[in-house]
Amino acid sequence: MLTRRLVLPSLLLVSANALAGKTAAPNDAYLYIIWPQDGMRIKGAFWCRFGLRNMGVTHAGDTTANMGHHHLFIDVDEPLDTDQAIPQDKKHLHFGAGQTEARIDLPPGPHTLQLVLGDADHVPFNPPIVSKKIRIVVY
Amino acid sequence: MSDEAAESARKTLPAPRRLTTIMVAGIVGDSRFNQDDERDTRERVVQINRELIEPVINEHGGRVVRQQGDGLLCVFDSPVECVRAAIVVQQDMVVRNLELPRERWIWFRIGINLDDVIVEPDDIRGDGVNVAVRLEQLAEPGTIYISGGVYEQTRYKVVCGYQSVGDRKVKRIMDPVPVYRVLPDPAAVAKAATRRWLRIGALTAACSAVIVGVGGWYLWQRQAEQIVIFERPTQATLQPAIQTMPEAGARRPDESPPVTRPPVEAPSTATTQQAMVLPKPPSEPRITEPDTIGIVGGSFDMGSKDDPTEQPVHKVQVAPFLIGKSVVTVGQWRGCVQANACSYIPPGDDDAPLGNVSWNDTQQYLQWLSGVTHRQWRLPTEAEWEYAARGGTKTRFWWGDAMKPGLAICKGCGDAKPMKAGTVPANPYGLRINDGVSEWVEDCWVKDYRGAAANGAARATPDCRERVIRGASSSNDASYARPAGRDFYDASVRYPTHGFRIAASP
Repeated sequence: MLTRRLVLPSLLLVSANALAGKTAAPNDAYLYIIWPQDGMRIKGAFWCRFGLRNMGVTHAGDTTANMGHHHLFIDVDEPLDTDQAIPQDKKHLHFGAGQTEARIDLPPGPHTLQLVLGDADHVPFNPPIVSKKIRIVVY
Repeated sequence: MSDEAAESARKTLPAPRRLTTIMVAGIVGDSRFNQDDERDTRERVVQINRELIEPVINEHGGRVVRQQGDGLLCVFDSPVECVRAAIVVQQDMVVRNLELPRERWIWFRIGINLDDVIVEPDDIRGDGVNVAVRLEQLAEPGTIYISGGVYEQTRYKVVCGYQSVGDRKVKRIMDPVPVYRVLPDPAAVAKAATRRWLRIGALTAACSAVIVGVGGWYLWQRQAEQIVIFERPTQATLQPAIQTMPEAGARRPDESPPVTRPPVEAPSTATTQQAMVLPKPPSEPRITEPDTIGIVGGSFDMGSKDDPTEQPVHKVQVAPFLIGKSVVTVGQWRGCVQANACSYIPPGDDDAPLGNVSWNDTQQYLQWLSGVTHRQWRLPTEAEWEYAARGGTKTRFWWGDAMKPGLAICKGCGDAKPMKAGTVPANPYGLRINDGVSEWVEDCWVKDYRGAAANGAARATPDCRERVIRGASSSNDASYARPAGRDFYDASVRYPTHGFRIAASP
């Protein structure tokens, strides 16, 4: 009984930590958008290509160390919540199958794009691996 | 007894005893009514009495004995006529409510008992009345509860479903009273509908197949489109219906409006032929299979102008189908895990909506459930989902064009107090949507409706890596709670707020 009492809280602690964006990432990991480039004007739909250095891309659910999967933030202004799974909606595209590029079709006008790497549970790494936010104009 | 003795007995008795069918109807309104609304509600209750209650009771050979406050006490000579009258009233109320905003909905609870009571010119007395009152209290808004005596008299005469809800104790009465919930039948509803809406043919045919031992509820849309909600003929005997009763029986005026339980609710429990014969449901649940609602299809405008992915808006004809009232719960999924048929092991409470399943995961569950229930379960198609989620409405949300607190769990949609999963009210078809998780459907993702079929079939693509997600999760904004809203996700990937509900073709 005593052991059980001791074990249970520690288990809870572990799972809480797992949710709190505590999957470690190497300090030199670098996430970037290969194409388009910042400030580009683009006609119609385009292929957005994701770049990652010093870490590997895998599918969601894979807990192998130093591996993650891409999330593309479109026109997201809210600060990144590093404790929670990255939201799933039309502004937060998930690439949980391990994709490294995506066909993006945006309405005409200015837009921002930013990549965020997620761990097996879609939670940002610690430290968060985030690309520069780029601005494009679709016409 | 000699003639003389009989004569004297008649003289000494103040009023004769008579075997009578007693109906008690109580009005349930929204507890949030302010005074102006209350006046409005009063006026509408008077109008409902004049236009609906009184004529229907007269038509069925009944008589109003007493009317006090929100309650109505009536007597009928025939239990069959009484049950029919009750069904007509409930059905008519569904249609009346559909024409009004949700906060103005009015429902009746109806309890019916058959007993030997003392009939006075302007009152009736006896334990039989107390039983009817108790049944009325047990009934959920919009439903009819009858005693075992009424059930015995009507079961083969009024063609509809009777769901046993177990035996109930009534104050001052020794034996517990067997209680049944009535799930109204097509004929009675048709009768109620003759004035304004009618188109029965297809539906009677569709129902008669199902009606063997089961019942039906219907709704109408304002456009005279017809939707039938019938009871699912269950193959397996499921969790006992009595499990749902404490919730149904208790009146909690302090809670969100009592009108949150529309009458179309027809839990699939204990309604097989077998369950009809056995007064008591089995005590141990064998499979916690999700409750479903049968929906006889119809035609509707699928899509919306709110988002390019929802265009073009197009007419779709949906065939009859069964669909889960709610999303699959953690507890229901665990049945599959215990059978070693589902690989994902979820954390959390049994009654929480299941999340973090991929589309591929859902297939494991559906395959397992199909095996144990001998029915081919699948995910709903996009068209079926939207049709059921709209619940006959054409507005942005099923309750209207604007977000209202307390009707969906999503970001910025809430009340002051955060909502708990399983607490969103059901839509007019009895579905709970936007209840914490968004939902996988059968279709492959196609970015809009160009080229979509008009028969509501699931869309398939050669490279079907992404499947459609419907509804809002707790982390989505209000626009995702629109029945027309659609999004997609990798079919092989799990995400915390992705769940699903089951569906089948009847």
